[in-house]
This record gives sequence, structure tokens and C-alpha cells, in this order.
Amino acid sequence: MRTLLEVSGVSVTFDGFRAINNLSISIGEPELRAVIGPNGAGKTTFMDIVTGKTKPDSGKVLWGERSVDLLKLSESQIARAGIGRKFQKPTVFEEQSVRDNLSMALRNKRGPFSVLMWRAGAADDARIQELAAEIGLSERLDDMAGALSHGQKQWLEIGMLLAQDPRLLLVDEPAAGMTPAERGHTTELLKRAAQTRAVMVIEHDMEFIRRLDCRVTVLHEGSVLAEGSLDHVTKDQQVIDVYLGR
Amino acid sequence: METPKLSPVPRARRSFLRENPSVLWFMLFLGLFTLLVTILSEGVGLGVMSTSLVKVLGMTLCLCLIAVAMDVVWGYCGILSLGHFAFFGLGGYAIGMWLMYARTDGVIRDSLARGDIPPTEAEVAEAVAAQIFGVVGSSELPLIWTFAHSLPLQLAFVVLVPGLLALGFGWLAFRSRVTGVYLSILTQAMTLALALYLFQNDTGLRGNNGLSGLQNIPGLLDVPQAVLSVWFFWASALALGLGYVLFAWVLSGKFGSVVRAIRDNEARVRFLGYNVEGYKLFVFTLTAVVAGLAGALYYPQAGIINPAELAPIASIYLAVWVAIGGRGRLYGAVIGAASVSLLSSWLTGGGAPNIDLGFYRIVWTDWWLVLLGLGFVAVTLFFPKGIGGLFDLLVRKQK
Repeated sequence: MRTLLEVSGVSVTFDGFRAINNLSISIGEPELRAVIGPNGAGKTTFMDIVTGKTKPDSGKVLWGERSVDLLKLSESQIARAGIGRKFQKPTVFEEQSVRDNLSMALRNKRGPFSVLMWRAGAADDARIQELAAEIGLSERLDDMAGALSHGQKQWLEIGMLLAQDPRLLLVDEPAAGMTPAERGHTTELLKRAAQTRAVMVIEHDMEFIRRLDCRVTVLHEGSVLAEGSLDHVTKDQQVIDVYLGR
Repeated sequence: METPKLSPVPRARRSFLRENPSVLWFMLFLGLFTLLVTILSEGVGLGVMSTSLVKVLGMTLCLCLIAVAMDVVWGYCGILSLGHFAFFGLGGYAIGMWLMYARTDGVIRDSLARGDIPPTEAEVAEAVAAQIFGVVGSSELPLIWTFAHSLPLQLAFVVLVPGLLALGFGWLAFRSRVTGVYLSILTQAMTLALALYLFQNDTGLRGNNGLSGLQNIPGLLDVPQAVLSVWFFWASALALGLGYVLFAWVLSGKFGSVVRAIRDNEARVRFLGYNVEGYKLFVFTLTAVVAGLAGALYYPQAGIINPAELAPIASIYLAVWVAIGGRGRLYGAVIGAASVSLLSSWLTGGGAPNIDLGFYRIVWTDWWLVLLGLGFVAVTLFFPKGIGGLFDLLVRKQK
């Protein structure tokens, strides 16, 4: 397992509030990692930094074999480099069909002129069918994404993430608002994805994390409090004090 | 999980027209309308319709074309540009320069030829400059008129000047991620600055006099205006038809998907790996070019262009037309532009009878703007989909 993403010594301050404080974290390829922490621990801000939405005050974010400095890239360049993100609140394009949503995410050229000339080929259609089957939306390809249930929207977004074929998936609370059966399915999906890529999951739900059965990083006040197996971190006294004890 | 069911005809393989039935309907309607006007026209038909009405209708088609462009940039891409009339005006100025120069040149040559010695080229050029710029107290041909003698070059400027201005402005604005109302204000500032600049006498475009006599087409002076008006009407209809198909095609595939996605959530589109600024720039520039072409067809029918045409209010009207017609559907923009601008010229042109209520007289030239304002508020509040939204009811009934 090689290191794919390395975040070191990153700090960011919003109006005097230190959201991220000298944070260092890294993930290999392939790996499944869960990130937990109380509200305000900086989990989402961490994802914002990696995906280019927020620029940190100090620190380094290095990517891939050639140690590309992600802080110098724009959001879209980072996405093209191979980092996909799923937001906490499902953000699909509600006024477009499930097919159009997936088709936009497909790993094809992204420039305006190539996209203008792009028409779905047989391989693209097959890939969309395959993804739709994987996320259980085969029957709904031509429905508007806005007509889907909350859980289905979550899946569509995961499907779009898979369509991008990223090397690193950042997944923010994927199980929120899902039924137990849907959660089980989501767990399977993430575990399967993590066989070939790096997957980082932010979650609050301990039961869900137990099922992911992976290495866990606990964040607190913008830095790493503990890291290791779920059993290891839940026995850590500091973790119990700041998070589990409450 | 269930096995994927492969549908026999994948949706993506269907033809463009079957995917967009409204394009065919629109073409049919435009074709019939053109035929009707031709048959009724004074120039080539039965003579029921006056030349001035044919001109008004031809100009209306040009306004429909810029409204379609506005709908693409605002209704589809979510950029509320309040400066697209600047591009329309620049297109008009570019073609107007040739029209004015070439016509004046012809007139001067005719009158000088009556003298005893044939005039030299320098004398002709000097006389043309004095004729055109005498009104602003100058007899020098400004630098920007260098190519005014050449129709192909001025036609190229119809496309290049609005296109390059939009490209430069858009690049600066989108790169700095100026969005929403701030961008609207910037576009207003752009068109205002341009209008104020053109108002100055030493700008080289005759200040507030503008360019006039544009209805006289050099080389076609023998053709009566009645016939010429029909030709321009045809050209306007053709331009609207082609523009409509172009935009419908651009918006039909994945490009349209991305553009609508940018309107709905541009941050999300960035995380999908699309360079949002590039797409906005593409749409902004393409629509500016089409606006320039629409202007180049409009002003020869209007006969005159002056800087007031580029005033900020013109671009605001454009947004009002599109809002009333229905954003996010191309035919909505056409309906809005045609109905509101025709209603406006009917009510303000003295066509509509004033209403005497006894205690108060409703004079439409005064009340038209109030009516338009109320209409705009009503549409925004009660029919956010505009007049075009009525077609949704029609389609739903058929199902």
C-alpha cells in the first residue's frame, strides 16, 4: 500500500476560530478509512481543503506518486486529478434525469468543446447501465433526479462519484437518512470500492463504522486525537473523554 | 441487485429533432409567419401590409433573436447579464459604419464627377470625411473608420467586436468568480460606460447623432424600400431560425446538461471536474456574438443607431422580455420579446386609443411603463414560468 494523499501540518482559521490546527493525516491506495469526531472537529473543513474549496493558512497537501501540490490546483483540476467528493446533503441535479446526472460524471473529457461534440457511445451507455444497476436505479434512469427518495439521491450521488472513477473518494455522512437495509447496501458499495481505491468516510454513526471494519481516525478541535482500529480508539481515554463519554 | 435491463433503443441514439420537438414546431411557425408577411407585403405581395409594418416585424424578429441569446445566458446558464444590448449595439455600429461610408462615398463621387476635372482619391476621401463628420465639427476620418470602405471587414467586426469584448469582460469577471447580482451590476456598468463613451463627439462615431441613413443600402439604391424591407425581413427570419437551431443543438447534449447544472449548483459542477469559468465564458461569448449579428440586421431596418440604444435600460428590458416569456425555454424568449415589444410599439406609437374615464384620461404613452412593470411583477409572483409555461399545461393534457 502506497501513500496516495498526504496532508501535513495544515492549519486554517475562520475569523479567529481555528477550524483546523496543525493537522496531519495520510491515506494509502487502496484503503478504507473512517473519520469520526464531535461536531466542529473540522471533518468537513478537512474535506474542503483537500478538494480545493478552502485554502489553508499553512501546511502541505501532497497527492500521488509525483507529490503534486494540491494547494496550487483549482477545484476542477483536483477533481480531474482523481479526487471525488460526496457531500453531506445529497447534491444531485434535481431538474435533470438520473441518466444525465450520471453521464455528466462519467470519466470523459471535460473541456467545453469536447463536451459540445460528445454524444454517448455504446461504451458510455453500458457504463451508465452498469452504474445504475450498482446503485439500484436501473428502472429510473429517465426519471428526474428530483423525484427520487432521499436515500436514492444519496445513492445517485455515490453513483456519480463512481462514474468519475476517482482514485480517492471523500464521502461525507453517506448513511444519513437511510433505512437499515439501504445502509447495509451502502456499506457493501463502499467496501467494494475500497478494494481498488482509497475511500475516506466521515460518519457519526458508530454502528455503521463498525460494519465498515476499517482503520479509524478521530479528529478533535482540528487535529488528530487518535488513530487505529475501532476497538483501539474506543478504548483510548482521551477519545472517551471528548467524544464517546458525552 | 437486479440485472441491468438494456433498453432496445438507447435514448442517446435518437435524433436531435425527435429529442426536441419544439424546434420543429418553431420552424413551422416561423416559416408560416414569413410566408404570410411576404404575401401581405407591399413590396412583393398583395400590398395589404405597409412597408413600415414589415420593417417593424423584421426588427421584432431581430429582438427575438437577441432574446433567445439572453435566455441561453440567463435562463440556462444562470448568468443574469444586463449588458447584452451593448453587443447588439456594437453589431449595429459595425455594419452602420460601412453603410454610411459606402453610401456617402457614392454620393460624393456622383457630385464630384459633374465637375470639369475628375477628382483624385484623396479628394474623395476628404469630402466623405467632411460629409460624415461635419456634424461633430470635424473633417478627419477617425482611425476606427480605417476599414469602413470594406463590407467583408466590417461584417467581420460585427462578429469580432462583440465577441472580443465579451471574451475580455467575461474572462476578467468569471475568473474572479463574480456571480449573481454583482455580475449583473458589472454588466450594467459595462453597457453604461460604452454608451457614455459613444456619446462623446470625439469618439469617432458621431456622438449623440449616431449613424443615420442606414436604410439606404449601397449598391441596392435602385431597389425600393418596400422590396428591401421584405428582403431584410427574410434575412431576419433566417437568422432567427438558424440562431434558434444553433442554440437548441448546443443545449441538447451533455453541454446543455453541464450548463444547466452550473445554473443550479456551480460548486458541485466544479467538484465533478468541470472548469465552470470556461463554460460560462463560452456561453457568454457565443451569445454576445449572436446579439451582435441580431443588431447588424436590426439597425439597417431601423435606419438609425445612436448611443441611447446601448443605455442600461435596454438590457433590462431584454431581461424583462425573457422573464415574461418564460426562462429556460427558447420559444419562451421569442414569445416574450415579440409580444412585449410589439405591444410596446403599439401602445407608445399612438396606435392604441387613449381611454377617457371622465375624471382621468389614460394616456398609454405615459402608462405603458406602469403596465409593463405591473406585468413583470405579476409574472414573477404568480407565473414564474412565464407565458411559455402555458405550453406545459397543453402537453400535460395530451398525455
